[in-house]
Amino acid sequence: MSLNITVNGASRTVNAEPLTPLLHVLREELDVLSPKAGCQNGGCGTCTVLVDGEPRRSCLLPIAAVEGAEIRTVEGLAPPGQLSPLQEAWIHHYAAQCGFCTGGFLMAATAYLENGGSDDHTEIAKALGGHVCRCTGYVKILDAVSAAARGDSFDLTTTAAGLHTTLKGVDQ
Amino acid sequence: MKAVGARLPRYDAHEHVSAGTRYVDDVRIPGTLWAKALRSPHDHAEIVSIDTSAAEAMEGVHAVVTYKDVHKNVHGHIEGLGVPGDEPLFAETHVRYKGQPVAAVAADNEALAIRATEAIQVTYKELPSLLDVRKAFDGDAPQVHHWGNWYPHFEGEMDRRQIRKGDIDQAFEQADVIVQGVYRPAAIEHIPMETQVCQVVPEAGGRFVVYSATQAMYFSMGVVAAHLNWPLNKLKFVGGTTGGGFGGKVDSATETITTLLAIKSHRPVRWRWTRMEEFLCSSTRAPWHMEIADAVTKDGWILGRKMLTLHDAGAFARFSPYGVTKHAFHHTGAYTIPNLEFNGYVVYTNRVPTTAMRGFGVTSVSFATETHIERIAQTIGMDPVELRMKNATRLGDTSPNGIPYVDPSTVPVIQAISDAAGVELSAHSRTMTSAMRSGEDLPEHLVAQMGNPEDH
Ligand code: FES
Ligand code: FES
Repeated sequence: MSLNITVNGASRTVNAEPLTPLLHVLREELDVLSPKAGCQNGGCGTCTVLVDGEPRRSCLLPIAAVEGAEIRTVEGLAPPGQLSPLQEAWIHHYAAQCGFCTGGFLMAATAYLENGGSDDHTEIAKALGGHVCRCTGYVKILDAVSAAARGDSFDLTTTAAGLHTTLKGVDQ
Repeated sequence: MKAVGARLPRYDAHEHVSAGTRYVDDVRIPGTLWAKALRSPHDHAEIVSIDTSAAEAMEGVHAVVTYKDVHKNVHGHIEGLGVPGDEPLFAETHVRYKGQPVAAVAADNEALAIRATEAIQVTYKELPSLLDVRKAFDGDAPQVHHWGNWYPHFEGEMDRRQIRKGDIDQAFEQADVIVQGVYRPAAIEHIPMETQVCQVVPEAGGRFVVYSATQAMYFSMGVVAAHLNWPLNKLKFVGGTTGGGFGGKVDSATETITTLLAIKSHRPVRWRWTRMEEFLCSSTRAPWHMEIADAVTKDGWILGRKMLTLHDAGAFARFSPYGVTKHAFHHTGAYTIPNLEFNGYVVYTNRVPTTAMRGFGVTSVSFATETHIERIAQTIGMDPVELRMKNATRLGDTSPNGIPYVDPSTVPVIQAISDAAGVELSAHSRTMTSAMRSGEDLPEHLVAQMGNPEDH
C-alpha cells in the first residue's frame, strides 16, 4: 500500500505492506539510519523515535498505524552543523561510548524534556526505563539528561572539539 | 599520567550524538542481498544428509553455501600460536552445539532468506549431549569429540595447563588448617546492543571489501584468508566501528560465511544476526568450575594452594587454551603463595563455544580467590583486609609461573581502598610498602620463592 508520513519535517510517500515495521521503512526504504535494530522485539530501545511527540519503539509499530504521523529521529534534533542542548550534554558527560544505544536514548530523553521533565534522576530513570545500554552503566546518561533539564551550558572544547590541542602536552 | 583525571575528548562523541556514526548495518550498497544461516536444532547429532536443492531452486535465492564451498573448513582461531583447529566453519559430519551453522543462504530480502533456509533438508541422528563440565570425566560421559572431552594440546602435549611450584606436600603438612571452597561463575552473554553483523561487497577487480564489526580486524582478515586459501591482498577490511563488543566480537563469527555468499552470488551481502541468534549461539563468557584447597597457618599465612579448574570451552576450543593459561598464571590473585599445585582443563561440552570477555580467564579466578580469602579470614578469625595485606604481592615475590614482580600494586591499592571505604588498617599495614620483604614480613616459608626483579 502507499501511504504518507512526515519524517523530520519532510513529507515522504512509502510503498510497503501495512504490517511492515516503521523501523524497517525508516532504515531500509528511507535511509534514515539513526534508529537501530537492536532486538526488533521491543526489548532494548535502540529503535526509539518520536511519533507525534511520543517516544515509540519503531520495531513494533506497523507502518499502517502511523499513517499521517509526524516522525522525529536524531537526524532532526538540530539543524545541520548544530546540536541540541541535550546532544551537547551527552558529549560533555561522556554519555555515549559505542553509541549504538544513543539515538534511542536521545529521542526518549528529548520527549521527557519537552514535556517539562526535571533533573531528578529517579524521574529520568523512569522516563528512560526499558532502554538498554551495555557500555556506560547509565550514570553518565542520567547526568547528561539532568544537566540538560537544568539548562547547564558547556564548553565542549574539552570534550569534543579541539581534540589535538587538548592532547598536546598530555604525556601518553 | 597527565591524562588521569583530565577531561579528554572522545574523538567519536560528536558523530555518535548526531547520527553521523556509520555502523556496519548502516552501510548502504545498492543490490545488497540478505544472508541467513541454517543452524543446528540439536545440541549434539550426526549429520546423515544435507539437501540444498530446493533452496537453490527458489526464485530470488542467489547463493547457498555449506562445508563443500569452503577450501579449508576447519581452521583454528589461534593455529598461529600452536593451538590446532577443531572447529568447522560449517558442520560437516556432526553438529556439536545448538545453533551451529550448517548452511547459509543469500536472497533478495530477509523473509525470502528465512524461507530458503527452511527449504534446506538436513537429516540428523541425535546423540547424547554433555552439558555439565563436572560430568566430562565420567567413564560413561557422552563424547563431544572423538579424541575425548578435554583439550589435549598444552605444551609438551599435556592434556592440561599445570603449575607446580615449591613443595606442596610440605606446605599441607605444616598447615594449621586447610580451607576449601568451590566456585562456579556461570556463563554470561556479552549482549552488545549491535548484534553480530557483516557486509561484504565484491569489487570489479576481484577484491572483496568486508565491512566488519569485529574487535580484531587483522585477526579476522587472517581467518577469512585461511578458510578461503586466499592471499590477504584479495581482501579489504573496513572496521573500527563496533556497537559494543566486550570480547564477544573477536571470534570472526560472520566474516567468512558472508564472504563465501558474496563470492558465490557475485553480489553484495549483508548478514545481521537477530537478537535471538545472539543469545542462542553467539559465544559467551565461559562457565568455570574451580576447586581450591589452601594450606593456612593460624596467624594468616597462606603456605600453599591446590587448585583444580574446569573451563567450559563449549563445543570447540577457540581461544580457551589461552584463557586457561592466563587463568593459571593468575591463580594466586594479588597474593603470594609459595607452594602450588594447579591443574586447569579446557573441557568440551555441547554448549555454545565460549570466548573472551573483559579480563579473559582472570575475572573468574579473581572471583574465586577473593571469595576464598574471605573464607580463610572467617575460618581462622582474622580481619580479611589484614589477611590480604599480609600475603600481598611484594617486590621480588614471584608469580605462580615464577616471574618476579617488578611493580606489584596490591599494597597501595588495598591502602587506598581502605581509606576510601573508611576501613581502619593496623599500624603495620598502614606503613607497609611494596618494597622487598624483610623482618616480620619475610617468614621462613617465603624466602625460597623470592626472585630478582632485575630478571623480569
Ligand atoms: S529494536 Fe526496537 S526495542 Fe529493540
Ligand atoms: S553506549 Fe554502547 S550500548 Fe550504550
